[in-house]
Amino acid sequence: MMVLRAWKALVTLLDTREAATCLALFRIAMALTVFTTLFEMWMRDVHLMTWVDMGLSGYRPIRPRAGLIHWMGGATPDVVGRVIVGTMFFALASAAGIGGRVTNFITLQLLIALVTLNTHAGGSYDELMTNALWLLVLAPSTKTLSVDCYLQTGQWTSDAKVPAWVRYLAVFQILTCYWTTGLQKLSVYWTPGGDFSALYYIFQQPSWQRFDMEWVAYVYPLSQFATAMTWFWEVLIPLWVLAYYFRYTADSPGRVRAWFNRVDVRSWFVVIGLVFHLSVTAFMNVGPFSFASMAYFACFFTPDEVHSAWARVRARVVPA
Amino acid sequence: MENFQKTIWPQLRAVFVVVHLFAIFAMAFPAPGGGMRRSSWRNPTVQGEFAAWTGRLNAVGVDIEQGELEDHLWTFASGYMVVRGKVLTPFKPYYNRLGTWQSWRMFVAPHRFPSKLNVDIRRDGEWQAVYVMRDPQLDWQGHVLDHDRMRSALFRYAWGHYRPTYYQLCDWLAKQARVDFPTADRLRCRYYNYQSPSPQQVRDGTQPTGTFKSNRVVRLK
Repeated sequence: MMVLRAWKALVTLLDTREAATCLALFRIAMALTVFTTLFEMWMRDVHLMTWVDMGLSGYRPIRPRAGLIHWMGGATPDVVGRVIVGTMFFALASAAGIGGRVTNFITLQLLIALVTLNTHAGGSYDELMTNALWLLVLAPSTKTLSVDCYLQTGQWTSDAKVPAWVRYLAVFQILTCYWTTGLQKLSVYWTPGGDFSALYYIFQQPSWQRFDMEWVAYVYPLSQFATAMTWFWEVLIPLWVLAYYFRYTADSPGRVRAWFNRVDVRSWFVVIGLVFHLSVTAFMNVGPFSFASMAYFACFFTPDEVHSAWARVRARVVPA
Repeated sequence: MENFQKTIWPQLRAVFVVVHLFAIFAMAFPAPGGGMRRSSWRNPTVQGEFAAWTGRLNAVGVDIEQGELEDHLWTFASGYMVVRGKVLTPFKPYYNRLGTWQSWRMFVAPHRFPSKLNVDIRRDGEWQAVYVMRDPQLDWQGHVLDHDRMRSALFRYAWGHYRPTYYQLCDWLAKQARVDFPTADRLRCRYYNYQSPSPQQVRDGTQPTGTFKSNRVVRLK
């Protein structure tokens, strides 16, 4: 009986419809992330070394036995170059909101073909991008802020309602990423009981540092604080999920629920997350990881909240 | 069609969402992944973690030796990976075709004994450094070696089980060196392995010294 009730509640939740603004912002941010990461590789000829077969211009054997690149003739400079240009083209089309889900699907398939060529030379950002593109295939994300919208309505924006469930899945995806990465930080340098020196030592690793990071030794307590914040923030992600539940059931009674909604725990998690990602970008070179992650942030708030925040910003910038 | 939209589609959509959530959560759930190599466990960073955890367990009254702890963890992790593999198998096409892989093992522990790639060439019998990781003065091929995708690869190649690919990388570098340094007769790749200095050591200016490993010399002429 309880299972049936839960199932009905789920079906009802997934029936929710809302404006497409958040999905559109998610699409634009993610598509631009895909475009810029490939454009930078292409400009520096990194693809010729990492994604092309050994003997042609690559450093290791890249011989896909199936899939698009195999079908196009293998990982040659020409084929890989064409697929990169194609992916950048469709990513730009996705950002502009041309072609709806089909464009996102093509971008996704092209990107999968590229990032699976050499799994040694990649990172979690590839997965953040492909996961996002799949979610955007599931969603009518070009209902607003898009060329599609302009062609259909004569306006760049529209109040047309779209299903909210894909935005929920995007939130679940990024929270899963944060939580499960936190659960795996079992090192004595991360966990309570140790000296919270993980970030200090990670900053010293030459693989990821953007520049020399020995200066952190002089602000070591600050790095310990940042380590503890990062660990607790990631491990306590279920509280973020709880904050969403409390917001969804705001009309129900309960002191904890009321406190969560009054303090807006969800926004605090978002602020800490933004500080975390901006710090990572400033001090470490981990590719487009932070930008891909922050693209998901567009889904953390409802379109109504985004609209009213935007109205407040406009009122301040352009006084009536 | 209207009936499908109102009654069947919401149910199908809910089934899809539940399957999707299960698929991604099952794959994202913590697993040792690439850590399932007993040889990698001998790395000083990993040994340091085991020693610290053994100490922690001893401190709370669990009487266990480091070797025992490693054996128990190996047995548990091996079994867990078998079960995990079976659970994930039906979802593999979903991961592979639609890019829904989940692997969030990011910075699970700081590498206390990191390695820096060094590339040298030999001219007139003298070795000369041309690339040292993160050295802005010695950045031959830095436009590719310092890119985030190659940073990820170079981090991996410092581990012993990537040795064959590391050698392929050295051969690739030799090919570039033949063009850029026509008078050189040898190229040498090696990793400088050292212990990261503690905050106190940095402040005192007493840097720990390291050793070179994974030497690979390629003839250019």
